[in-house]
Amino acid sequence: MSERTKIDARGAYCPGPLMELIAALKLVRVGDEIEVLSSDKGSANDIPEWVKKVHHEMVGITEEDGYWSIVVRKAK
Amino acid sequence: MASNPLYIVLCSGEHEKIQMAAMMASVGAVSERPVEVFVSMNAVLAFAKGSTPEERYRGGTFSDLLKAKHAPDAITLFQQGKELGDLKMWACSMALDVQGWELDRLEDDLFDGALGLTRFLSDAENGQLVTL
Repeated sequence: MSERTKIDARGAYCPGPLMELIAALKLVRVGDEIEVLSSDKGSANDIPEWVKKVHHEMVGITEEDGYWSIVVRKAK
Repeated sequence: MASNPLYIVLCSGEHEKIQMAAMMASVGAVSERPVEVFVSMNAVLAFAKGSTPEERYRGGTFSDLLKAKHAPDAITLFQQGKELGDLKMWACSMALDVQGWELDRLEDDLFDGALGLTRFLSDAENGQLVTL
C-alpha cells in the first residue's frame, strides 16, 4: 500500500522546495507520494516541469491560502 | 536519450553570480543532466573552507536580499547537486597556484579535483558552456 509523506517547504525560495522534494523521493518506495507545501510561486511551476522531465507522476496541485500543495508520485 | 551536458565556468566572486551558478548546477544535475563546474579567479575565494556567509558572499542589492530572505545557500545547493544528481566540480589549477592554495583549502566534499582550463574546455566541446 502506498504512503504519502508531507514536506512543509513554505518560506523556502527556489530551488529549495524542489531540492527537498527530490531528497524525499530518494527515501520512499515506487508508488509512494510526496506532498510539498510551497509558498514559492516559481516552484509551483518548476516542480511539475521537473516531474514531467524525469518521468515521475503529478498527482495534483492545489492553490491554498498563500501557498501551493503539490503532490507527486514516485514512478521509478 | 541522454541530456546535453552543461558546463559552467564560474570566475566571478559576486554573490549573485555564484548563486546563479549554484542554482543552474543543482537544478540541472537533479534533472538528469550531467553538469560540470569549473571554478576560477575570484570565485575560488568564495569556496574557502570554514568561511562565514558574510566572508563568503559579497555583492550588490540582490546579495543583500538573498541573505536577508534566507535564500538557499549556494554552497549547500552545490552539495545537493552532487548528492542528488550528476554534478562534478573542478577547481582551476592556475587559480589555486596563483593564490598559493592546495585543494584542501577549499570546502570539503565539494570538489572532484583540480583541473586545467584546456582539459575542461576540451570536455565542454560535448555540451553547452555557460560562463558566469
